[in-house]
Amino acid sequence: MDQIISPFILYGMIALGAVGVGLALPKRGQTPQVIGGLLAALAAGGIILGLTIKATEARPNLFFYVFGVIALGAALRVVTHSKPVYAALWFVMVVLASAGMLLILSAEFMAFALIIVYAGAILITYLFVIMLATQAPADDTMEVLAQYDVEAREPIAATVVGFVLLAVLTTFMFRGLPKVEGATSDTSAVLVEKLPRLYESKLRDRKLLESSERVVSVSLAEQVVVVQKGDDLSTQRRLAGLAWPSDVKISNVQTLGFNFLSEHPGTIEIAGVLLLMAMLGAVVLSRKQVQLDEDAKQKQAMELASHKVLSSDDGGAA
Amino acid sequence: MSVLLTNATELIASTTLAQTGFPDPMASGILSHYLFVSAALFTIGLIGFLTRRNLIIMFLCTELMFQAAGIALVAFGRYHLDFTGQTFLIFVLTVAAAEAAMALALVVLLFRRRETLDAEDWTDLKG
Amino acid sequence: MIDMTSILAPWTTLTLASEGAAGAGPSGMLTWAVPGLTLLATVLCGLCAAFKVKSKLPAWITVACLAGSFAAIVKTYLDFGSTHQAIAHAFDWFNIQATVGKSPVNLVASFSFFIDPLTLTWMLFVTGLATLIALYASEYMSHDVGAGYCRFFAAFNLFVFSMSCLVMGDNLILLYLGWEGVGLCSYLLIGYFYKKPSAVAAAKKAFIVNRIGDLFLALGIFLTFVHFGSVEYKVIFAEAAKYVEMLRIGRFEEIPFIVQLIPLLLMVGAFGKSAQLPLYVWLPDAMEGPTPVSALIHAATMVTAGVYLIARTYPLFLCSEYALPTVAWVGSLTALLAATIGMAQFDIKRIMAYSTVSQLGYMFAGLAVLSNVGGVFHVVTHAFFKALLFLCCGAVMHGFGGQLDLRKLSGVAKMKGWLVVSIGMFVGCINLAGVPFTAGFFSKDMILAEAFVTPGMAPIGWILLFTAGLTAYYTFRVFFRVFVGPQHYEMGEESHGDDHGHAHGHDHAHGHDKAHDHAKHDSHGGHGNHPHAPGWAINAVLATLAVLSIAAAGLNFIGPKPMQGHGGTVASMVQHSSTSFTSPFAHHEGGHDAGHGESDGHEAHATVKPFVPGPWAAHATLGEAPHAGSFLGQDPHGEVLGVGLMYWVSGVVGFIGIAIAFVLHFMGRTTAAKSKADGLLPAFGPLASWAQHKWYVDEFYDFLIKRPILVLSHIFHVIDALLVDGLVNLVGATPRFIGKALRPSQSGRLHEYATGMAGGLAMILLIVLVVTTLLKHV
Repeated sequence: MDQIISPFILYGMIALGAVGVGLALPKRGQTPQVIGGLLAALAAGGIILGLTIKATEARPNLFFYVFGVIALGAALRVVTHSKPVYAALWFVMVVLASAGMLLILSAEFMAFALIIVYAGAILITYLFVIMLATQAPADDTMEVLAQYDVEAREPIAATVVGFVLLAVLTTFMFRGLPKVEGATSDTSAVLVEKLPRLYESKLRDRKLLESSERVVSVSLAEQVVVVQKGDDLSTQRRLAGLAWPSDVKISNVQTLGFNFLSEHPGTIEIAGVLLLMAMLGAVVLSRKQVQLDEDAKQKQAMELASHKVLSSDDGGAA
Repeated sequence: MSVLLTNATELIASTTLAQTGFPDPMASGILSHYLFVSAALFTIGLIGFLTRRNLIIMFLCTELMFQAAGIALVAFGRYHLDFTGQTFLIFVLTVAAAEAAMALALVVLLFRRRETLDAEDWTDLKG
Repeated sequence: MIDMTSILAPWTTLTLASEGAAGAGPSGMLTWAVPGLTLLATVLCGLCAAFKVKSKLPAWITVACLAGSFAAIVKTYLDFGSTHQAIAHAFDWFNIQATVGKSPVNLVASFSFFIDPLTLTWMLFVTGLATLIALYASEYMSHDVGAGYCRFFAAFNLFVFSMSCLVMGDNLILLYLGWEGVGLCSYLLIGYFYKKPSAVAAAKKAFIVNRIGDLFLALGIFLTFVHFGSVEYKVIFAEAAKYVEMLRIGRFEEIPFIVQLIPLLLMVGAFGKSAQLPLYVWLPDAMEGPTPVSALIHAATMVTAGVYLIARTYPLFLCSEYALPTVAWVGSLTALLAATIGMAQFDIKRIMAYSTVSQLGYMFAGLAVLSNVGGVFHVVTHAFFKALLFLCCGAVMHGFGGQLDLRKLSGVAKMKGWLVVSIGMFVGCINLAGVPFTAGFFSKDMILAEAFVTPGMAPIGWILLFTAGLTAYYTFRVFFRVFVGPQHYEMGEESHGDDHGHAHGHDHAHGHDKAHDHAKHDSHGGHGNHPHAPGWAINAVLATLAVLSIAAAGLNFIGPKPMQGHGGTVASMVQHSSTSFTSPFAHHEGGHDAGHGESDGHEAHATVKPFVPGPWAAHATLGEAPHAGSFLGQDPHGEVLGVGLMYWVSGVVGFIGIAIAFVLHFMGRTTAAKSKADGLLPAFGPLASWAQHKWYVDEFYDFLIKRPILVLSHIFHVIDALLVDGLVNLVGATPRFIGKALRPSQSGRLHEYATGMAGGLAMILLIVLVVTTLLKHV
């Protein structure tokens, strides 16, 4: 295994993590959950350490570790918290951490889009639905967590399945990655050639360009910029030997947008239609009148009866 | 241990938040880190999906899995200096949003039917 | 001395009658009337059954067709005489050309008839007796008029058809067809009263025991085909001539083993069909069938098929070392055994059945001691008198309502209307007992004499002589008990109109009723409990048969000149057929011929040596025949007081038997039930009861064969129910089981499905990982 110092550490930590997560699931009391959480943390830390030690040529940013740990911890909390609202909030944390990781990966737009869409829209929707879908407690009864929230089902089977999958995935990853060829050159410069208008403001600032002139094309290889006035070809002149403005940088948004529109135009349309349909669907569905199921009716009737008895008792007592 | 410390200072020294374009190609060592985080996140989401009974929490766990996938996508994109990863993530986001809306609408309907969010309650397809 | 090759030579150059041979003589095509008419009669009787004919029409059809067949045979006999042979071809049946390995193999078996004197001898008495017995049956079975009547006569005709195929066929396969056909008809006819369990059991027993013999016969036919390359007689006899040649020049060792093996197999088939030890057990039980059936099939025709087989393939038997001695011993022991059993039975039909077995033993022994003439002659005479005896017993049974127990009948001869039956019975009995100058006497004597002459067969002769005495005793025991003496009868259970379903001889206590009318018991048909004497048909047949039995004696004397005195007509018939053979021991070489006046006329082939057949050739040196045996030092053919020595001996033995029977069963007998013999029984100790229980042979077979087979069939039943059914049920149960096992996986629970999916994915990836790792390391 090339990426980690030893496979035994990997599998051992995975097993430990499995135990930890299994314990952390909300089934038993609180103490096992804490212990489980600690074990899981230990396991994650161990693996990351193993990775770090082995990675001799380059190590990721410090912030990677920060965001990574936050992400994993918050995710664990999402899964193990009994109250749904808290779980949703911890999910927001996950989204933030993952946005941070995207930032480190030079995907600023995605990071912000993630926060806006996920944390800002989807999660809010989740919270609304959680509110909607919780039975309102009666006045005098304590709010009690539903049984299905408190108890996780079959933690062992799920944990085993999950961590076997993790073990296999990581084995594939850590063994196979060195064979994956990474890119070696910077592509951004090529993109610059396709976006000549980026330079106009910079050149005007340096007084290299008259106000009515516009940049027609850029050639990095020859270091030549061709400018002309409007559409008048006669006024074309070439600016050569320019020092490349070091502050002309293509931002992530621009690159992304360009890639988006030049290579996947159809998909954009489809995505739009998809969103439209989702919206309409949500409206239609929520207007649907749904009758209460027979079993649920019976349960309700029984509960009402028991409430009535209790309240009548209380009323009688009081 | 000293190895660790020197690396830490280096890390702190090279803090740059944003890297416009893709100036430096990513080493595979770094990529494996990101992928590990993605896999771990995915696993946790999977376990959550298989374990929790509350329908909404289950959907939340699927969103968690989406997150993991997103990180992996962008990491690979960065590795290959290709913007396809991020483009794909935009679409994933779109679909996730649409799907979340639909799913939650259905959960509401289900709740109205049975007054419970327990996934175990719905066993009508029992063979 | 007859030259064997000159007899066999015509077979090698036989011309087919259908080819329009150049002046070969009369064709045998008239013999095709026999199977044709009988088959036609079968079909017509079947149609009668279909049209629910309720008259005696089937019987008249049968009698007419059989009479026609008889006429055809007689005409053929007159045309052929006793010297001519022919093959009458009807159509090709099997004509298979194949190649086995490198050699071509032809199976040619056509529907052709091989007409030679032996065939004609057999067919004469078969068709003659069939006609007479059909006439008898027309009255005997008249109670059953309707579907049963038609069924009876249809099977009867089918039987005669099969018998004709058997006897007249020119190849072993046609013989086998007839063989199986007679077995089938025997089964159908024994089981005629199919509502009676004992009859059905007897029919099954007959068929199954016959089958055992048939298996060996089939094996013999197969071997014949393998060795000789053909199943046709003409080819086989041509090849056999070569082996005869080897015997003649004393080169016995060169005869291949297969040729010695074939007769052994054929012989077992003959034993099955002709009820010899150990396959005789079916014949006494076969008496469950109606009496005409017993008379025709189990006395005269079917049971002689075995004898016919041996006679027909005699050249092969002569070449084998062990065949003839085996046949001789089996035949004589059977004769003795059956005679002892017959002495202790009380059912007269059964006694006759055992007597048939015993006499068949005589015939086999006769052929085996090289008296082919004696054997065949005995067949002919026995056919007549045994049929006569059976028919008389049948008349008694018919008239007394099924009563056959000789302890319950007495003095029948003096009853009104029973005279013809009694005379017929008397004639039959004297023939069977071998009273001098009856036909049975001559035929039996030939066999006895030859037995003592042929070297090494003297013990056979003594056994046969002793059995002759026993035969005389038990035959006349029947006669003296049933037909003479104080008059008494008890009716059997089968009153008229109710013939089915009743066992023979059982009758509820009628008491000792000497009165002639039993007024208190009045049964259905109006005949009540009175015995009724036989009608015209029965009487006519019995009279004819009695006359023929007596006349048969003459066959010993009349005939072509060379054969006079040594078997007469029958001898000439036999010696001009494929069976022809003269024992080298019968006449002392040279010298003693002068003593026989008859021998002057023999064709003198002084240059040709006689040949010694297989059993003796095996131990003989070249050119020297073993010495002939003798009877107590005397030549049995030698004359004492103008009559052959053997005549005296067998006559004396016969008279002794009759005398003993007279003393024990006639003198001083006052009741029907008891006689002086009963007083003597304790002297024999347990032997008497063993004999009465048929020496427990049936029980022995039951223990040895039937029980293991039943056990085996139970085992197979269990295996079938458990294994085979179980397997089938397993095939049905497996999908159900799989379904039941897999159903819990469809619990309807989302989580379980999801876990399954995730687990499956993990498994697949794990397997891929492991496989790729292993492949990499490998």
